[in-house]
Amino acid sequence: MGRRRRRVDRGAGTWARALPEAIAALSRMLPAGPSPETFRRAKFDLPEATPALWRLLFQVLSPRPEEGATVSLALETQVRLVKSVLRAQGYPRQELAELPEGGSQGSRELLLAFSWLLACGTLLEQLLARTRVRLGDEMPVCECEDLTCGGASLGQPALSKEADSRRDVRYVQWLMGKLQCRWRNLTSSHQEQCVLLSKIHEYTQGCHSDQSLGHLSVAETELLRDPEGGQELLRALECENARLEAALTWRRLELVFWQWMDTVLDACLPSTPSAGSQPTFLPSLSDHGPRELELVAWELQALQEELRVAVEVRRVACEAQVQGWGSEWSTTMRSLKEAVGQELAALQKAWEQEGGLVQPHGPHRLVRSEAGALPCWGLQAAEAIRALRSKEACLEAALCCLQGQCRQELARLLRALPGVIWLSPRGR
Amino acid sequence: MSIVTVQLGQCGNQIGFEVFDTLFSDSHCSQGLCSKKENEAYQTSCKERFFNEQENGVLVARAVLVDMEPKVINQTLSKSAHSGRWKYDQCACFCQKQGSGNNWAYGYSVHGPRHEESIMNLIQKEVEKCDSLSGFFIIMSMAGGTGSGLGAFITQNLQDQYSNCLKMNQVIWPYGTGEVIVQNYNSILTLSHLYRCSHALLFHENDAIHKICSKLMNIRQISFKDINQVLAHQLGSMFQPTYSVEGSFHYRRNPLGDLMEHLVPHPEFKMLGVRNIPQMSENSLAYSTFTWAGLLKHLKQMLISNAKMEEDINWQVRAPLSGLSALGKMSFSKELHFNTSIANLVILRGKDVQSADLGGFKDPALYTSWLEPAHTFNVWKTQRAFNKYEKLATLVSNSQFLVKPLDMIVGKAWNMFASKAYIHQYTKFGIEEDDFLDSFTLLEQVIASYCNL
Repeated sequence: MGRRRRRVDRGAGTWARALPEAIAALSRMLPAGPSPETFRRAKFDLPEATPALWRLLFQVLSPRPEEGATVSLALETQVRLVKSVLRAQGYPRQELAELPEGGSQGSRELLLAFSWLLACGTLLEQLLARTRVRLGDEMPVCECEDLTCGGASLGQPALSKEADSRRDVRYVQWLMGKLQCRWRNLTSSHQEQCVLLSKIHEYTQGCHSDQSLGHLSVAETELLRDPEGGQELLRALECENARLEAALTWRRLELVFWQWMDTVLDACLPSTPSAGSQPTFLPSLSDHGPRELELVAWELQALQEELRVAVEVRRVACEAQVQGWGSEWSTTMRSLKEAVGQELAALQKAWEQEGGLVQPHGPHRLVRSEAGALPCWGLQAAEAIRALRSKEACLEAALCCLQGQCRQELARLLRALPGVIWLSPRGR
Repeated sequence: MSIVTVQLGQCGNQIGFEVFDTLFSDSHCSQGLCSKKENEAYQTSCKERFFNEQENGVLVARAVLVDMEPKVINQTLSKSAHSGRWKYDQCACFCQKQGSGNNWAYGYSVHGPRHEESIMNLIQKEVEKCDSLSGFFIIMSMAGGTGSGLGAFITQNLQDQYSNCLKMNQVIWPYGTGEVIVQNYNSILTLSHLYRCSHALLFHENDAIHKICSKLMNIRQISFKDINQVLAHQLGSMFQPTYSVEGSFHYRRNPLGDLMEHLVPHPEFKMLGVRNIPQMSENSLAYSTFTWAGLLKHLKQMLISNAKMEEDINWQVRAPLSGLSALGKMSFSKELHFNTSIANLVILRGKDVQSADLGGFKDPALYTSWLEPAHTFNVWKTQRAFNKYEKLATLVSNSQFLVKPLDMIVGKAWNMFASKAYIHQYTKFGIEEDDFLDSFTLLEQVIASYCNL
């Protein structure tokens, strides 16, 4: 949070007036934002504020926040997802992970976690982009959005329990097949969407008032078909305007908010001696997560120590050996160093050249133009395809590498089984 | 999403015609027992899948017709043209002057490579007419020359060129007392090749359908047309639209994809069978009433006792107690010929469909133990009646039902192969003894996998 924590010299009266305004602006800007009162309650760690804050964090962190998803998922699942995403993003406070999954207490912790998210990234910009009214047909050309939640999943923790190791391999193959079916389904849906988009763009060529676009998008065509939808669109645009206005107010006043957050943090420090708070939470934890974690952390430490000692012994032995080899060794060493240096330089050069080409990023509006009449702005389809192809090649290489490793591992395991003949599986 | 049908050989073309005719007449039938609006949605959904609408409003089947003799294709074309309701595209046909003489190797190694380009071009043209392609439905026989040999070749090509699309092969199992001496050779070659390149093999046994015609439909002189109509009825009841989610009135977008995902995601278990209840002649239909409970009780017993029709049900067969270990289950099921399933899909059409209770099909004792119960059973429903049946239940099942006939065919073929009978007719066209051995190995593996459920 340190980045924005600066003291502002203002009179106490201004501060008192500006703070509610800042919090109100923040709450207006957030999707399904909690009332300003919730923030105040959270400062005093009141339990009433907890559900609203869990919901807010879930909204902000879930990969695809649809309206229905919040309602349909149980609070426990939301809590689990929030905890695991925050862990994956490196949130430092252990206290949050120890909050009960029932979601009944810890509103101050949640406020801290939310402010951390707010302070350390471009959360607000992302949220505003997510709720933007989309009039054009868009296509993402990068996966950064999908990657923000990588490492976290909604999966039940029960799935990773011991029962898995006794699973029949046929069940795994079955699941794999199902996955392939879904994948195929997804691909054909995408293709269908492309065909339909292209039809709409072709039929409405020349209908758009904006000459540079030329044709209508799906949303615009829908407006022609159903003028009633215009009211809906107007409402959505007004909402967006309100959010953007709130964002401007927030930018103006956010320093006051951070100042206030300092006081929240101060209030938090003395009251949470970790030893004191633990007993109240531990009994309510259903699984032995934290205890196991402690055990693992302890084991890890022990292993690291062991490793350090082992490495030291090896190094000493190795150095002694090398000294025995003499000049031959040092020439080999020198040539190796040179080779590595050359390779590094080549890589650096390649990277610099690549750097000139800006990698396409973010969603783009799809605009169909006649051959020969290419606009000078925007991203050409050919460029986007090239970028995607190169990314595909990278991913494929990584996949090949992983498959090779798996095959080696499998072969190693099979060598240990006497009397087994290995027939490689047939592709589908 | 659309399905492109490929009709191969005499058998494939004759069945294909009946399937399209059934789909068309059912979706334009006025006795659907549902509102006009719902009927329209049903028709649109059926049309998108199987027909392409011309500018003058005539429906053209999304199909490619392939045969090496012109006779059957000409008959099929003229029948569809005379129906006046839908037709085939004249340009989507491929035929030659000379057949394959019931030699699989000739269809696969001679006709296939020779006509590959023309046939694949026809298929591509048909694919380009679809806004979105769900997959291919390939109708062929198993024991002949053109349908089976060329069919296997084409399926393999489809797998190479459209690897992202689903392929389901409708395969006709020959009569046990077939007149073709090498039918067992042809069958094992077809099956083993399809097992490698298709996603699902849907079987119909000529013997079983013949019996349905004589016992349930009361037909005296059974012709191929009668058999094909029963078959088309079963396929139609499988492929016509159903609701995507219970309680919604939206029809499923990608039934072929959903069906495959429910039933055949595992690469070793690809054999599907269909059963219908009730099944009877149109005359008796008018005088019969059914309850869902009664129909489903019979259908379940048909499943576990492996009966192809209601008359064959053996009521002695029981599901093993779920407490038994896999080994105990095996000996128990062997004893009473209990038919263990991997996954089942029940499709219900008609009146009061929401009241049907399918608890009986969810019993874990019916299924192999390595699969989670959530994966084993699915149900699709629609209130719209099918083909004048007020109530109709269709069961599509991936189970042990074909293990015995398959074992028999492999056994007979092996006996012939051991004495090297007729092998030269195959080696002459490039199918070597090693190809036979590969086929035997693969099918033995399939049999073993199904036996060890």
